[in-house]
Amino acid sequence: MSTLIKPRPPTAAAAARAENVSKQYGEGDAAVMALDNVSIGINSAEFTAIMGPSGSGKSTLLHVLAGLDRPTSGQIHVGDIELTRLNDKQMTLLRRDRVGFIFQAFNLLPTLTAAENIRLPMKIAGRKVDDYWFQTVVDKVGLADRLSHRPTELSGGQQQRVAAARALVTRPEIVFADEPTGALDSQSGAELLGFLREAVDELGQTIVMVTHDPRASCYADRVLFLSDGHIVDEMGNPSDDAVFEYMKHLGE
Amino acid sequence: MWTATIRSMLTHKLRLVLTTASIALGIAFLSGTFILGDTTSKAFDEVFTKVSSGTDAVVRQEAAFTQSEGAGTTRAPIDAAVLDQIQTVDGVEAAEGMSSGYALLTDNDGEAVEPAGGAPAVGYSMPIDESLRGDVRILDGVAPTGPSDVAIDASSAEDNDIAVGSTIKVLFNGPAQEFTVVGTVGFGDEKNLGGSTSAYFDPATAQQVVGTPGVFDQIDVKAADGVTDSELADRLDAVVPAGTEAVTGQTVADEASDSVSEDLQFLNILLGIFAGVALFVGSFIIWNTFTMTVTQRSREIALVRAVGATRWQVLRSLLAEALLLGAVASAIGIALGVVVATGLTALMDALNFSMPSTSLQIQPRTIWVSLLVGVVVTTAAALVPARRATKVLPVEALREATPGTYRPSIRRAAIGLVLLGLGVAGILLGLYGDAPFLLFGLGVLGVIVGVIVLTPLVARPLAAAIGRPLHWRGVSGELAQQNAMRNPRRTASTAAALMIGLALVVSMGVFAASLKASFGDLLDESTNADLYITTTTTQAEGFSPEAVKAAAEVDGIETISPNGFGEARFDGKGEFYTAIDPATAEEVLNLDLTAGSAADLGTDGVLIAEDTAESNDWAVGDTVPAEFAATGATDLTIAGIYGQTGGFVESDYLLSIDGQTAHAGGEQLTSSALIIVADDADQAAVQADIDAALADHPDAKVVDQQGYEDQVGGFVDSFLALVTVMLLLAVVIALLGIVNTLALSVFERTRELGLLRAVGMTTGQVRAMVRWESAVIALMGAVIGAALGIGLGAALAQALKDQGIEAISIPVPQVVLYVVLAGLAGVLAAVGPARAAARVDVLRAVVTE
Repeated sequence: MSTLIKPRPPTAAAAARAENVSKQYGEGDAAVMALDNVSIGINSAEFTAIMGPSGSGKSTLLHVLAGLDRPTSGQIHVGDIELTRLNDKQMTLLRRDRVGFIFQAFNLLPTLTAAENIRLPMKIAGRKVDDYWFQTVVDKVGLADRLSHRPTELSGGQQQRVAAARALVTRPEIVFADEPTGALDSQSGAELLGFLREAVDELGQTIVMVTHDPRASCYADRVLFLSDGHIVDEMGNPSDDAVFEYMKHLGE
Repeated sequence: MWTATIRSMLTHKLRLVLTTASIALGIAFLSGTFILGDTTSKAFDEVFTKVSSGTDAVVRQEAAFTQSEGAGTTRAPIDAAVLDQIQTVDGVEAAEGMSSGYALLTDNDGEAVEPAGGAPAVGYSMPIDESLRGDVRILDGVAPTGPSDVAIDASSAEDNDIAVGSTIKVLFNGPAQEFTVVGTVGFGDEKNLGGSTSAYFDPATAQQVVGTPGVFDQIDVKAADGVTDSELADRLDAVVPAGTEAVTGQTVADEASDSVSEDLQFLNILLGIFAGVALFVGSFIIWNTFTMTVTQRSREIALVRAVGATRWQVLRSLLAEALLLGAVASAIGIALGVVVATGLTALMDALNFSMPSTSLQIQPRTIWVSLLVGVVVTTAAALVPARRATKVLPVEALREATPGTYRPSIRRAAIGLVLLGLGVAGILLGLYGDAPFLLFGLGVLGVIVGVIVLTPLVARPLAAAIGRPLHWRGVSGELAQQNAMRNPRRTASTAAALMIGLALVVSMGVFAASLKASFGDLLDESTNADLYITTTTTQAEGFSPEAVKAAAEVDGIETISPNGFGEARFDGKGEFYTAIDPATAEEVLNLDLTAGSAADLGTDGVLIAEDTAESNDWAVGDTVPAEFAATGATDLTIAGIYGQTGGFVESDYLLSIDGQTAHAGGEQLTSSALIIVADDADQAAVQADIDAALADHPDAKVVDQQGYEDQVGGFVDSFLALVTVMLLLAVVIALLGIVNTLALSVFERTRELGLLRAVGMTTGQVRAMVRWESAVIALMGAVIGAALGIGLGAALAQALKDQGIEAISIPVPQVVLYVVLAGLAGVLAAVGPARAAARVDVLRAVVTE
């Protein structure tokens, strides 16, 4: 059952939150407001989708939430850490230790095998990989027999599942996924999204995903709609029809 | 298309800068060696030609052949009476007899004023008639007029603070004398003659101290107005006695100039080899850079192709780019060449290996050859990658580029192994067969090229092995190792440049170490001397025989035996000979005489090395036709055959010192003296006494056997240092190649770096990763280069076994040091690229275009 409700204000218990965040690109006449005074909260152990048409600012929102980019103004919290106060090194360590990423493409290092790619963030941190957890994650994404393959020997769907496993293996507070199914066929896309859903349900993982595909968004618990740099609406337990209708309405 | 070419070049500034730098450095070396060669040649030219510039005609003794062995030593003197005859000839404005010879200045403290770079220390007559002085002019003070007056070159005066009016001692072949400095002399615009020191005396004094009373070395003549030089020479030639000739001043200058070019051929060949090495290394880098940039631009090229450009148009555009780049970079290189030449000169000075010098000579030849070579090499290096790029189908290139996997090519392995095999065969034939030395050289080249061809095949396992220890550095080390392995061809060709440089440096090191190790043994075997009197600097031609006389006065000397050396033609071939004292030579030298005796030498006898005697079928009592520049043809009688060569005596012909004096036109400088200390005397005390006795002879010093070995070894060392530093410049170019490769790799891996940063790699870790990759590449080049260098050095030492190099010694600490330094240099080369890698924007990986 889909219902349209007004966006909730951020609460201190959120896994991540943005308060009055704005992001401006360029100066003067060429200035573009990618995010305009956005405030949102991401709930723990929930799968949140951020949707919006091209140029709505959804990717920018993800980047600033994840510590990949800095907002022009406003505050970002991941857990209890305020991101805008961090220097570059601290931001890097935050990404390394508390956040996982899945990008649309080019998620893997071509020189490393699937297993090495999955272990990469742990290696970078110089931490021991928890073998039991590694095996759990690998089994979950169904890659047990592909671990010694290099990215060029894997299909697009398999590559994205490796990326997902890499994002989860560090037990991050939040996984950020930027159009993770954008380059996949619908079958592979569905598999990946199903796996992300399971990660939330069974492992209690918090996931934030940017997408423009209504079918992808219906795997989420909650969808945030973004248009022209504003959060315009929010939908709980979305169905693809409802999201599709809403997107059509946004496009008008 | 031309506009597009230039615009494309300018948009990729980094690429442009790196490629330009690699070409410019290679060309800088080429033009630098040209400039240095021309400058040195000019400086030598000046030594011999400027002094005679004022004379229209010269009367001198005829010589069997012309050669220059320093001033005034090659021809027999002329009877002073000839001067009177000449002065009566119609058309003679002025004529004066000239004398010149060894005259070493000392400074205010009595220390020798050593000429720079092996240039001679010469004393001359200062013509009374100013018109005969030519370019020689008094800069300060007056010309010498009395028996205790001397005018010295302005450089010697300035560098040693010798003021006009001060008293200095001057050393001659005969007794040293004190003179009052009455003036300083310049030569045209120069303050010295190509690094030599000059002392000018009035003609009568000069005849006493550097010449011989009653004779002149030559007579300089000035023509009256209206008489041409050749008319004057013809008229003079008609009146001078038989055996004497009159030639124009120009002829004398030309002869000197010719002999200079001959003398400098060795230097020019040496410099040419270095320039060749630098260019070879440089073209590797240019090739590498173009290969990489063309690959990176394949999308750009495909786009141009897709909108309708023909393959030929694309190729033409790329070649135009190479042409333009080659021309601009070569021009920069030529300018840098001046810096290289200056640097090399300073370096040679610092290593006590200086050459006479004058203002830097930039000939038109330097410019056009450098431009031509730069453009041709650049275009050639760009041709293959450019062709490859145009073969790419437009759709292929527009797809997302994935790094291709490298498959080892069997053809490459076959070609490489064949080259290597032929090279080794050539070297072995050169060493043990009767094959000419050229084959040895071709063999060396074959081995080097073979190894270069094979390197990509072993690059992957080698990089894996070298990078293995990096794993303890964590993820940066592991990724660095893998990055070095991922494109073996690129890694190999980057390392190859360093490999060549290091192979040459190490082979020289091995060769020199073998030379030094052998020399110590040989010296032990070949002489019985306890002490040696030798020149104070390794470059000096010799010292005054007076020094030996002074040393001989010391108590406790059992035997003192002086030696000299010179050059003459024996049986039609130019050879060096050693002059010995027949009475004492057999006591101090182990000549291993197989027949005859040194004591029978006399003035017309000669001792022949066993090998030479055998190959000419000569025996004691036979005569050997010889020709001396000063005295012409003569027959020498073989007084003995000796077996020992190498070590102390290196020549195949031994004359007596009296014989040398008789045939070479007067007493010559002593090159060394061997001393045996009496049994009942203390060697250290005797050495100290000789040292004291030589206080008045600053051109000579006394050393023990170790000191003598060190002095010869020091000569080898400074020569080695010179060669090494010049080769190290090739290594610097190779390091630039590493910078180039890394910078372009970083550019190529932007998304990868962004990804690594996104998932939490710190900038420090990114920098370390690039740094370690660089170290792996550098170490790979260094390790292969060192191995190759040891092999080649040993082969070279083996090839010169006949010359007495019997030990093959590998300077292990030195080689290890080079390899370690190469690794460190690799780390240094990575500083810029590492910084660029750390600056990569994280979002670049995330955002899909």
